Amino acid sequence: MKASVPLAVLALLATLGPAVPRLAWAAPSAAPPASAPLKVGLAPDPANPAAPRMGDRMSFHTTLRNPASAPVGGVMAWLTILRVDAGHEEAIDLEDWSANKALTIPAMAPGGEARSDWTLRLISPGTYRVLVSAATRAAPVPAVGASETFAVAPKPVVESRRVLPVALGLPLALGGLLALRLTMAKGDDDA
Amino acid sequence: MSPALAIARREGGELLCSPRGLAWLLAAAGVLSGFALLLVGSTELGLLDNAQVVYDMAGLTIALGALLALVSGVDAVAGERERGALLPLLATASPRRSIVLGRLGGQALAWSAMLAISAPYLWAVGSTGQNLGAALLGLLLFGTPVALAAGAAAMALGARLRSARAALLASLIALLLVASPLLLGPSLRQSAIGQGFDAVNPFSGATNALDAMVIDGQGLAAQGWHLALVLAWWGLAYAAALRALRPPRRPGEEIVA
Repeated sequence: MKASVPLAVLALLATLGPAVPRLAWAAPSAAPPASAPLKVGLAPDPANPAAPRMGDRMSFHTTLRNPASAPVGGVMAWLTILRVDAGHEEAIDLEDWSANKALTIPAMAPGGEARSDWTLRLISPGTYRVLVSAATRAAPVPAVGASETFAVAPKPVVESRRVLPVALGLPLALGGLLALRLTMAKGDDDA
Repeated sequence: MSPALAIARREGGELLCSPRGLAWLLAAAGVLSGFALLLVGSTELGLLDNAQVVYDMAGLTIALGALLALVSGVDAVAGERERGALLPLLATASPRRSIVLGRLGGQALAWSAMLAISAPYLWAVGSTGQNLGAALLGLLLFGTPVALAAGAAAMALGARLRSARAALLASLIALLLVASPLLLGPSLRQSAIGQGFDAVNPFSGATNALDAMVIDGQGLAAQGWHLALVLAWWGLAYAAALRALRPPRRPGEEIVA
């Protein structure tokens, strides 16, 4: 009796036939997506601090090259920062780190080159690696340029757990004192 | 009790215990809280060195203290004159010097309250603690003359100008000018005009001394010129206040006339 239920479902699906939409993931593509025919070179700026620490700025220069014999169109390049400390591996949210997050190039001729600069503000301590990826409209698998890892040293900055009690507590205390004084003054007036 | 002490106690009591005085202190604490909360709420500001933050907070404290002393100084002469309370005070047997000293004593008490309020903020933002002592010492030695000079100069202006409103406006504009080093860092004051302004401006003297002590870690002994500058301005402002409140040489010359 129990085995007949799945069989009944299969039979029902068979009768529905083309009326059941085919799920996109159910249809594997025949060919893998193409890799971008680009070369990405990434180099740190010589003026970068030798021992960077939080708050410093670092720049990286990218060279995108089209080594193919055909032009490529719709080139997209974007920045990625990876933290690579053991146990803290993560891709960094660029929000505070860099105003230069991505760029587009409408077309690159065969053998053509494009240069770009990426400036980072070092927000947190740790060990990082910078990547710049580039893909094209027709070839979505990116070519990647990677920097050497670099360590960002910590520095003492404002700690919110010390600031908040003072910043909120002192005005509250003074406000309470003021309210008490006003209440006492009103009581004196009433008397 | 000397007349100066009695006036200082009354003045200080009004500044520290009256609802109006407490409201001023609450406003000052609100400004310091706003700055401190900006520091923890903004990534850009949050990356400032502790020493830089402590220096900024100390400079802000001097500006607030000078503002408090300035408003109090204008009110002590021009405000009292408009309320009709200055003439009875000047008519007493108290020497004018005692009256000026008494008023300045009240402002010194208010400045002490500002110092007391700023201390927890300096502790909170200076998480390493290494700059806290230098900042408090700098505030005491350099902030006190600046705040009291502002108060004395405001008393002089209040006596010279006929209207309390005009005296307050003129004082605030002057404070805005002298406190400009808070907004323009040392690198923006490197022109001949900027350096000349720095050489004579008491606020520059105080902030440059704080910069040297808190950020650069220099000793107090190296700040002799800055200390001489702020003390000289304090003396000048006191002399100006004393001169403005001097007894009349001719009938009808009294400032309350």
